Amino acid sequence: MTSTSGGPSPTSASIERPTPAGGVGASSSRRSRARLGRLVGLAVFLVLAALPIFLAPYPISLAGRILAFALLVVSVDVLAGLTGLPSLGQIAYFGVGAYTGGLVAIHASDNAFVQLGAGVLVAALVAAVTGAVAVRASGIVFLMVTLAIGELTHKLADGLDAVGASNGLAGIPPITLYPGGEPLVLAGVTYWWVLLVFLIGFGVAATVSRSPLGRSMRGVREAEPRLAAIGQLSYATKLAAYVIAGAIAGAAGTAWTVQTRFISPGDLAFSVSAIALLSVVLGGAGTLWGPVIGAAVVVLIRDWVSGYVSGHGELLLGLLFIVAVYALPNGLAGVASGRLRRRRAAMAGAPVAGEGQP
Amino acid sequence: MGWLDANLVSILNGLALGGLLFLIAVGLSLVFGTMDVLNLAHGAVSLAGAYVGVAVLSPSAGFGDFVVALLIAAALGLVLGAGLAAMTHMVSGHLRQALLTLGIALVAGDVLREIFGADVESVPAPLGLDGSIDVLGNAYPVYRLVVIGVAAVIALVLYLLLDRTQLGALVRATVADRGMVEALGVRSDLVLAGVFALGAALAAVGGLLAAPVLGAAPGLDDTILLLALVVVVVGGLGSVRGALMGALLVGQVQTVGVSLLPDQASFLLFGAMALVLLVKPRGLFPVQGVSGANP
Amino acid sequence: MPNMPVCSRAVSSGRRRACGVGVVALGVAMASVLAACGGGSLSSDSGSESSESVKIGLVVPASGVYEPLGIDLTRGFELYLEQHDGKLGGKDVEVVKADEGEGPDKGVPATTKVITQDRVGAVVGLVNSATALGVKDTLTSSKTPLIVANAGADTLADGSKYIWRTSFTNGAVGEALGAEVAKEVGGEPVYLMASDYAAGRESVAGFKKSFEAAGGKVADEAYTPFGTTNDYQPYLSKIPRSGAKAVYVFYAGAEAVNFVKQYDAFGLAKDAPLYGAGFLTEGGVLKAQGAAADKIKTSLHYSDQIDSPENKEFVDAYTEAYDAAPTVYSVQAYDAAAVLDQALEKADKTDGESIAEALGEVGEIASPRGTWSFDDDHNPDQPYFLREVQSTGGAPVNAILSPLND
Repeated sequence: MTSTSGGPSPTSASIERPTPAGGVGASSSRRSRARLGRLVGLAVFLVLAALPIFLAPYPISLAGRILAFALLVVSVDVLAGLTGLPSLGQIAYFGVGAYTGGLVAIHASDNAFVQLGAGVLVAALVAAVTGAVAVRASGIVFLMVTLAIGELTHKLADGLDAVGASNGLAGIPPITLYPGGEPLVLAGVTYWWVLLVFLIGFGVAATVSRSPLGRSMRGVREAEPRLAAIGQLSYATKLAAYVIAGAIAGAAGTAWTVQTRFISPGDLAFSVSAIALLSVVLGGAGTLWGPVIGAAVVVLIRDWVSGYVSGHGELLLGLLFIVAVYALPNGLAGVASGRLRRRRAAMAGAPVAGEGQP
Repeated sequence: MGWLDANLVSILNGLALGGLLFLIAVGLSLVFGTMDVLNLAHGAVSLAGAYVGVAVLSPSAGFGDFVVALLIAAALGLVLGAGLAAMTHMVSGHLRQALLTLGIALVAGDVLREIFGADVESVPAPLGLDGSIDVLGNAYPVYRLVVIGVAAVIALVLYLLLDRTQLGALVRATVADRGMVEALGVRSDLVLAGVFALGAALAAVGGLLAAPVLGAAPGLDDTILLLALVVVVVGGLGSVRGALMGALLVGQVQTVGVSLLPDQASFLLFGAMALVLLVKPRGLFPVQGVSGANP
Repeated sequence: MPNMPVCSRAVSSGRRRACGVGVVALGVAMASVLAACGGGSLSSDSGSESSESVKIGLVVPASGVYEPLGIDLTRGFELYLEQHDGKLGGKDVEVVKADEGEGPDKGVPATTKVITQDRVGAVVGLVNSATALGVKDTLTSSKTPLIVANAGADTLADGSKYIWRTSFTNGAVGEALGAEVAKEVGGEPVYLMASDYAAGRESVAGFKKSFEAAGGKVADEAYTPFGTTNDYQPYLSKIPRSGAKAVYVFYAGAEAVNFVKQYDAFGLAKDAPLYGAGFLTEGGVLKAQGAAADKIKTSLHYSDQIDSPENKEFVDAYTEAYDAAPTVYSVQAYDAAAVLDQALEKADKTDGESIAEALGEVGEIASPRGTWSFDDDHNPDQPYFLREVQSTGGAPVNAILSPLND
């Protein structure tokens, strides 16, 4: 299945789709929108960077976990939103990165860059090997294959004594930034490292999205049957997307472990995979930044708000999902881009079986 | 004969589990095949059926009480299925359907937990069917044999329904080419809602039948959903025959497989699924025209 | 780069720019408001202190498969507080609750929150050993003591100043039964089964140690995948073939219900009676098992049937307050409160370090389970009982047959 619910990405320069501002002056309004977009991006970065000044250690650790999870969600969007390959298996590479980072920290080096590098490398490798097989499928079958990859990794982590089995890896030491440096024990400073990893990962995803590879990926998403005639090209594109997504997920995993200093098989459960994919849908598949907001909303409701409704966090999450499907057909990003007018059009056409256009 | 004797109980168990999984998964497969809807609330419907047993059956329940409970579960399933059909009607795209149905599943899970509590609940097998009989020298629970029988009967009825009746032909036509059916003037959305409702009813009945074996507890809906998804993908989307074969295969893997390879028990299910998909990417008995594997 | 979310409605680019600046200004304003709320995370703060009131964190499952245990733990703890006017050691107690969830992925953040955000003087609870192991470092670095009210990993409490346990160790519960089973089966082999995670393996290992030391023979061992096994038949069918004349198992919660029912359904009990660690038949699972649990013998450090004045008083008070019988989980949390009561009496301040020091001076606890005290590892040195499921009075109970310890 190559159709997504996120609609066309705002970053795709497509002539067929009129901008909301109308014909004349469309390009200048697009430029000023782009400038405004950059201003917003800068503002968001400043707020995120300033958080440790204002927030206490626990909220900061929550913010750090949100960033790590959001990066995982970005990796899912690279596959689901950009390439049209919804995946339930990114948690596997997240887990590989997290466990690798943890093991490196315990046994080899507490240098943050080393852990990040190791996590990304191993995750990319595993993604390459598993992806070579997985991307031969598409649609629901691809989804189930990635589910299998995710679950098998989960069970592996649960069974391997070398990584702590069901108890997980505890006692992960804090990171240092340079050889011989002080270990970072302050929650706020560790958060800055996590923010840095997030920005790098997001930057990679955004760069890929705007590159020729990104165009190929969107080509696969929109028109795979036609591309299938070309065969090889489609496979190479999908595999490249898969490996990049795996690497980003691995980076997210190392960021997670650095912050929590603990990783257990429960962090690789199927439910996390499902929530990650649904955060993409919630945020607006294909936009990259929409899923980040989706991830933040989901984690805040599940981990923070649920504390106030004693055990009914899942109920809230479920209600959020239901409301979002009806109220936000293009996800949160769709609202932001002023496509509310498009809503009726999007909802009206019932799909013909086999087409599945949003 | 020695091997059979050693594993007969496992094989029978696999058949019983397979039968239950067939009942639960066939609705999921049909809904996907006909409506192209990914229904992640399917496990919750099944669990609701199991809880009907908790609510209605006492430890001294007889065969008649059990049948009543099955009918209630079926009715509940019909209602839930129709409701789900209505809710997913306007929602296009697998991902958004997944979001919606998972949201419904989360809400349903919480509601069931509120009503029935977090403890594991037991559903008794009907009196008279709760003993064990001798099967080739092994004691085997009667109830599980009954489950095998019931599942076989329902499978036969479904096959006859789909293959030999007008209604069945309509459903198969809708799977194969919805546009054409619409062009012929049939309200395909009603047909599909009917399929949805029937599938949900079967899932609820399956959940209740499974309850004396699996119990009823929060979290069971996730387990059931995962198993049903594997069955559907292995069997081939939209195919009743596929759901049956997939269910039987998964049933044997989870029983005989675990018995023969206990150390690899956790990996057998997904390992088997991966193996099948490697060889037959669209499942064992794929149905032509079903969009699942194609964009 | 993304569009400005709320400003796309603005008609002209000038207005949009103004809108954008407005949003940024709003963001800065909000950040300043947040600054007023938090103290920042760029410096390390010491915990709050007060000598008249103390904050205790109660971290137990409020969701997931262990929720029934969490309910019992909370009830036990709160009953003690109620009986003592909401005070422990003469100081007012503020209980901060957090949901441990099903595993360390939820439990570790929840416990960390209670320690770092709520700055509690002590943490009570934890069902899952993995969670307890995962927070050990945080406890040490924040100097906050943990009173484990359930988690049974053998090496969890190792004498560390900040870890104290009022519950049990997995191995000890199994070990208590070994000699008795060896006596009852008289030399015949016994089959061992457990759920494949730390608790299951430790329980079997403890049982095996004392069982074999008493001359017992093990027929075979089997471990079933934890949390995902619903059907035990593939394993049960091996038992008659192994020649075993009795079976010892460790299962808890939903697994205990399924296992016991299936053991009964396959008619194994008449040839091989079932023994287990007490969790097999404790609490809500006994009701779900019904007649299938009859005659199962278990070892545990508590049963609501214990015939002592302390226990009778406790059972009456608990039943009156909650309309349910207490379980071993209720007692463990009840005793945790009793331990804190003694400790806070001795402590001059209510911060974590002072409480941890005072815990070292806690003496004997007169508990509904009997009298016990902490051993060198900070585990309870306590009596164990041989229990048998009997349904003489209608509802099944774990009747006490005899004490088990030396």
